[in-house]
Amino acid sequence: MKNIKSEPPQLPLRFFRWFCHPKLLKYIEGDLIELYEERVKEIGKRKADLKFIGDVLLLFRPSIIRPAEGHERLNNYGMYKSYFKIGWRNLLKNKGLFAINISGLALGIATCLLIMMFIVDELSFDRYNKKANQIVRVVLKGKVNGEIIKEAVTAAPVAATLKNEFPEVLEATRLRRVGTPKITYQNNTFRNSKVAFVDPNFFNVFTLPFIQGDPKTALLLPNSIIISKEQAIKYFGTEDPINKILEFKDANEQYKVTGVIEKVPANSHFHFDLFASMEGLAHSKEDKWLESNYFTYLVLAEGTVVNQFEAKMPAIIKKYMGPQVAQLGMTFEKFKESGNEIGLFIQPLTDIHLFSDFAATSELEPGGDINSVYIFGAVALFMLLIACINFMNLSTAGATTRSKEVGIKKVLGSQKNQLIHQFLIESFISTTVAMILGVLIVTVSLSLFNQLSGKELEAAFLLNPKVLGALLGLGIFISLLAGSYPAFFLSSIKPIAALKNKFSNGGKSKGIRSVLVVFQFVISATLILAIIVVSQQMSYIQDKNIGYKRDQRIVLRESYLLGKNENAFKNQLLTDPRIESVTRSAFIPAGPTDDNMTGVWVGENKEDFRRTVIYGIDPSYIPTMGMQLIIGRNFLESSESENDKVIVNEALIKAFSLQGNPLGQSINQRTDNEGGFSSLTIVGVIKDFHFRSLHEPIAPLMMLNNPYGGLIIKTKTTEMADLIESIQAKWQAFDVEEPFTYGLLDELYNETYLAEQNMGSILKIFGFLTILVACLGLFGLVTFTAEQRVKEIGVRKVLGADVFQIVSILSQDLIMLVAISFIIAFPLGFYLMDKWLQGFAYRIDIQWWVYIVAGFSTLLIALLTMSFKTVRAALANPVESLRSE
Amino acid sequence: MKKYQLGEFEEVVMLTVGVLYKEAYGVSIKKEIESRLTRKVSVGALQSALKRLEDKGYLKSFEGEATEERAGRPKKYFQITALGKKAMEYSKSTRDELWSAIPKVAWSTKFIDRLTFQVTGIQLPATGN
Repeated sequence: MKNIKSEPPQLPLRFFRWFCHPKLLKYIEGDLIELYEERVKEIGKRKADLKFIGDVLLLFRPSIIRPAEGHERLNNYGMYKSYFKIGWRNLLKNKGLFAINISGLALGIATCLLIMMFIVDELSFDRYNKKANQIVRVVLKGKVNGEIIKEAVTAAPVAATLKNEFPEVLEATRLRRVGTPKITYQNNTFRNSKVAFVDPNFFNVFTLPFIQGDPKTALLLPNSIIISKEQAIKYFGTEDPINKILEFKDANEQYKVTGVIEKVPANSHFHFDLFASMEGLAHSKEDKWLESNYFTYLVLAEGTVVNQFEAKMPAIIKKYMGPQVAQLGMTFEKFKESGNEIGLFIQPLTDIHLFSDFAATSELEPGGDINSVYIFGAVALFMLLIACINFMNLSTAGATTRSKEVGIKKVLGSQKNQLIHQFLIESFISTTVAMILGVLIVTVSLSLFNQLSGKELEAAFLLNPKVLGALLGLGIFISLLAGSYPAFFLSSIKPIAALKNKFSNGGKSKGIRSVLVVFQFVISATLILAIIVVSQQMSYIQDKNIGYKRDQRIVLRESYLLGKNENAFKNQLLTDPRIESVTRSAFIPAGPTDDNMTGVWVGENKEDFRRTVIYGIDPSYIPTMGMQLIIGRNFLESSESENDKVIVNEALIKAFSLQGNPLGQSINQRTDNEGGFSSLTIVGVIKDFHFRSLHEPIAPLMMLNNPYGGLIIKTKTTEMADLIESIQAKWQAFDVEEPFTYGLLDELYNETYLAEQNMGSILKIFGFLTILVACLGLFGLVTFTAEQRVKEIGVRKVLGADVFQIVSILSQDLIMLVAISFIIAFPLGFYLMDKWLQGFAYRIDIQWWVYIVAGFSTLLIALLTMSFKTVRAALANPVESLRSE
Repeated sequence: MKKYQLGEFEEVVMLTVGVLYKEAYGVSIKKEIESRLTRKVSVGALQSALKRLEDKGYLKSFEGEATEERAGRPKKYFQITALGKKAMEYSKSTRDELWSAIPKVAWSTKFIDRLTFQVTGIQLPATGN
């Protein structure tokens, strides 16, 4: 019957025709159709269709699917295997070049990784908090009588007021630091736990996991305290810390432990060991807007725009602070009219570590610096770039030796993209080796880096799947970046030219290489410049006349712990022939110190009201510290009438622009809010000395005859260790609970600049690495040039050129490039270092010879590097080079 | 003894090709197996087995006539080669060898096994109570 036949479904049939092996197609298709026809008769079209589809799908199996067509019929795996083999052999063949290449890249990768770890850590600060993006800190900024006020702390009522006034404030909490008071549990007394008072809702804001206790209720009662697990072990050993009583003997208070938390993470802007409830702190409930003591944190509703919220602050200031300013005798309007400003500002939590610019005394902990993140980030990027550039350069340089191979491959039918694959695979092999080496270098050098940067980075960070992914990505990126140029360049060589040995590196690639060399040396020269400037500034800090002597001075800051015995202890010390003098004062110009400021005015000029630093000293302070009185006199020994006398520094005279003889003029200090004040008479003027770091200008300061606190000892001996031992023995004789602690003034001074010193060391290390890598690259290039021009050198030698001439011919091009790099590097270096120096109120100028030194040393390094190769090339016997061919 | 490797399904296909003698092509082999062994055979499984056997040299094929019900597609007839016959004989002889090597006792132990199973099977409810 020739009637209309039912057709099998077209789509599966087409699919089948597409995948089926051509040799089998017609037979199987016949079988399928035959079966289909039968089924249509037996079970109907629909079911037959379904069965047909099922059959087609079941036919989709390897033995029936067609192989790839034509030349693709063979897969390329074998070829790739050969690429790996040949690539590896090639790398081993040029062991020297390979080593240079790999070590350069490995160093680059290692540096980049280290810096990345550093940056990731810096950027992770405070982000452990679940609400990190909603938490902000309220800070105080303003200008009072020309003095800029910048405090990270605000007044006690700010938190509650903002919470009541604005619905977008979901939570407001405060923290007040207490320092490290003496804490006793039974027989254990310690004085090294950092304590803070916090509002009961503090742990709703900050995510500090509780091991024991309830974060919501733990601090509701006064005199409850939360302790970190680490500290709990210190105080209570293996006992359960909950409900144990800690005694604060100085304050005569007892606190009950109601919770145990994990240690505050390293990447937090505060690190307290104990959090005591602020409920019992009467001061925290007072409505005083003019005293700032509290770190205030808010949780803002999601979607609150910080700027818009901040714009609402002036109204709050006017409403609440205004009346209290008026009580001081000046209406808030007049206060503002006379050029004064005061305002609350909002700082996102995540900005605190890197962007905070509050004075070290105001901030909880010294923060990081976004600039150093940028600088290091740039260094990391440049290191990696330089390493990649070298890699490209050296691989391209190796091309001459590979051109014949490429030629033959092409003649035998290699396609361009096969060659590209080959070179990319070689680059991939090198990158993998370099990557492994780089990670090894990081693991080994991490502890050193931690010492320098003051971080607690861990190598385990590298095992994080995200980081591993990034590493893999980086590896592929480097392989492609570094391998692309040689791959595309070599694969486009014309086989005839290559085989006839007419291959030459055209002018185009030379141009690119020149740019790369300039780029590297711009970075190197800039770094050398930076290193010189930083070390100059550091030695300036060391050598600067800071207005007092800091060698051979021992500081006992905690001598007040001796209580009544302090004087006896001091007198005992004075009997020691090795001790010249001892002064009683808690005010130390370097390192941790008491810090006291008050507002004062001179004479009748009440309007010119300035905050002034107050030092409480005794008559032996000035001689012991080696300070210098310009005019007037020191305080007199044992005279009651000295209590209303004051010694001021030059800066104070300048600030108040005192006319005529300052001696005898009076300085007034408010004693209460009703307008009462006390008057002090200037008896001496002391030469300005740096009582804060050189970052800050010398502020007005006055010294009162009001000794309290620690002791500073001026010694006559160089055998400090012995002396300190005997002082310790005397200390222990008084049977004090606390251990004896001391500091050396010059060490304390140096510690002030630890950040700068560390930056200097880090800069030196990275500078060295960058230059090393750049030199490796230069060396590779010279090797390449020398090999390319080997015949020319031979001919020149035969014609009578001497070694020097040949060396200069080989180096002159590159030296030119290095010289060009200076033109870019010097302005860049000046700009960057000038910016860095601006951070110091007292700083060096960058002098002209710095550029000469930087330039000359860069050039010298470049020349030396090249000479390894150029001299050898110049000394080679011309016969060797000329006879080949 | 990799010399004559023949899988179970392959052997079935070979035998069926032998049974059908000159009429062995895709659909007929499929139907024959399905009717004789009452098992489902998909076109895919069969075709790949046929291709495998042909590659091994156990079967040879020749193109047959094109019929109307096949929409003009030719049939592909299969025949057992000498090598194929050897492979089948080898397969059979190894089986027979193995069969004859089973000691008589083995059968009886199986019988005992079954007995004990039945006995314990009866006892089970008793212990259960």
